[in-house]
Amino acid sequence: MKLYFTVILRSLLYVSLAVMVYEFVRVEQYFELLGRGYIDGFSVNIGNQAGQIFVVITIILVILNVLQLLVMKKNKQAKVEDYILPEYDASDERSVEITGKSVRFAFVFVLLYSFLILGSYMFVPNYFLDYVWYPMFTTASIPVVGLIVYLISFKVLYSR
Amino acid sequence: MLVNRVRELRAKFNLTQGELAKKIGVTRQTIVSLEKGSYVPSLLLAMNIAEVFNEPIEKIFYKRE
Repeated sequence: MKLYFTVILRSLLYVSLAVMVYEFVRVEQYFELLGRGYIDGFSVNIGNQAGQIFVVITIILVILNVLQLLVMKKNKQAKVEDYILPEYDASDERSVEITGKSVRFAFVFVLLYSFLILGSYMFVPNYFLDYVWYPMFTTASIPVVGLIVYLISFKVLYSR
Repeated sequence: MLVNRVRELRAKFNLTQGELAKKIGVTRQTIVSLEKGSYVPSLLLAMNIAEVFNEPIEKIFYKRE
């Protein structure tokens, strides 16, 4: 349950950051187009929801990190160096081993996925005009996909 | 292949998987995997198990061809 929770939170963190960056870039792009004379004027709605969500998720993740660190220090069997993020289960030696294997799977998948994402820019050559969101969301999807592969691998290996 | 007598000894000592897990500082799922033979423990964990059952490691864990 904790793993699902932290993976969902971490994914939301990346998505909210992508939304925040997208909104900023979109407005900046309008100013740029206006400055270069491509448009005569524009209107935008600027909200701070994405930023608020980002800040709240960051705070929750930091609190989770600190709590897990305190719990880890109490467990004499667990090594604190095995734990870096709240996603990493270091409750016993088998969990540490499975965490390592799952990270390897996720790493391989991220390498392949990044390759495909980079290649996909060939098919969306005008992304900077019509699909401003494309680079932000594809970049955010790389860690999200990595986290999902990590979660699935961990759960499958742990249930064996 | 490494086999073990953890299930047999646990029954002899009248311990549940949860109790044994707590004594040696692992999760119950690790004991389940250990008893199924799908997990090979570290030397430290094997020593902890041997200590609980008061038996030499080689009497609990042994190789089968």
